Amino acid sequence: MKKILSGFLILLSLSIIHYPLSIPLARAQEFNFSRAYNDYLFNYNQYRQSYSEYIAAREAYLSYQTLTSKTQALEKTLKMLKDEDEVIRNYLTALRMKVAETTGISNDEQNILYLKLDNEVTWYTQHKESLNSAATLEDLVASGKKIAEKYQTTEILIYQTLGTILSGKETNFRNQLSDKIQKLKGKIGEIRQKGDKDTSLSERWLLEAENRLTRSQEKQFAAQQILAKIKSSDTNKSKSYNQAQFALEESHQYLKEASSYLKEVLREIKSAN
Amino acid sequence: MPTEILNQDFENIPTEEEEKAQVKRAKRPIFIFAGIFGGLLVILLAAAIFLGLNQGKITTQVKPTPTPTPTPEFKEEIIAPSPYATDEAVLKMEEEVKKLDQELTSADLKESGLNPPVLEMKIKFEK
Repeated sequence: MKKILSGFLILLSLSIIHYPLSIPLARAQEFNFSRAYNDYLFNYNQYRQSYSEYIAAREAYLSYQTLTSKTQALEKTLKMLKDEDEVIRNYLTALRMKVAETTGISNDEQNILYLKLDNEVTWYTQHKESLNSAATLEDLVASGKKIAEKYQTTEILIYQTLGTILSGKETNFRNQLSDKIQKLKGKIGEIRQKGDKDTSLSERWLLEAENRLTRSQEKQFAAQQILAKIKSSDTNKSKSYNQAQFALEESHQYLKEASSYLKEVLREIKSAN
Repeated sequence: MPTEILNQDFENIPTEEEEKAQVKRAKRPIFIFAGIFGGLLVILLAAAIFLGLNQGKITTQVKPTPTPTPTPEFKEEIIAPSPYATDEAVLKMEEEVKKLDQELTSADLKESGLNPPVLEMKIKFEK
């Protein structure tokens, strides 16, 4: 009986042990944007939860003014501020990973952004640690003001980074189109030399495609200018970002036109005079 | 310390048999737990086997689902082709341009999922 029982217990414990073994395998996955983004979403949900708890504790304290409600308010405010630091830190990390994975951003641009984002991440990490020394509600209110002030400048970096990510995408598309134009130019030159087909129409389409690339570049530059002008005192920074995004959409439209012109060039090459 | 030894009740020292009975009593809950767990496992296994045997009898109804219909793609036919209509380099470039065009159309230029988090920055404990 004892042997059966011990065998049964071993089997049971093995089946329990087997399940957690699969977890480290999943955790061993490399840290990329997708993972950083999921971390950020998780922390954001946690922050929303702790914020509502802070509101409830604050209301209770303001209504009853008891020692218990004050202790509760202190505890919940501390947690909410810590989660706030954590959510910003995770969001900035996700942005950093997105910058790393976006093709079209130059190495110089990437390095500058990494440096700025890392500095911000360090600030929020240190701020979170400093919260442990807060003993009163007044300390926490002062700490909260500090984050609010800091976030004014962080927001600028956020919008500029987002703009750089979108610009990077545009640059990548434009580079690809430019490469195709060069290839087609070579082919058209070859056809012209053979003299068995009129290439003037194809050359005109190519010229138009090149013009669209220039216009797209101009629009992208305009977007970057808008983002560069954002100040920490601006109350509505997202408005400037939306304007920049609109300019980038216009830039993209020119790229689409350039692509359609390339299709025209190819159709023209394939058709007899 | 020695007083403690003297105070010991030598009359109540359990005999070997009593000790065995005590051990048995202590092990009883473990046996009861194992028995219940084992019983449940057997019931679950029996249920699983019973359902598995009956599965063959269940008549599965296949619901009619619409098959995906391919969307017609507009292909412009070239009536009078040039000598380059079948040129390998031209066809390759055409394929590349087509792929790039599709990428341009499907590109996400908003990245709305990356918009900054909405944070409530005002903390105050005044009415």
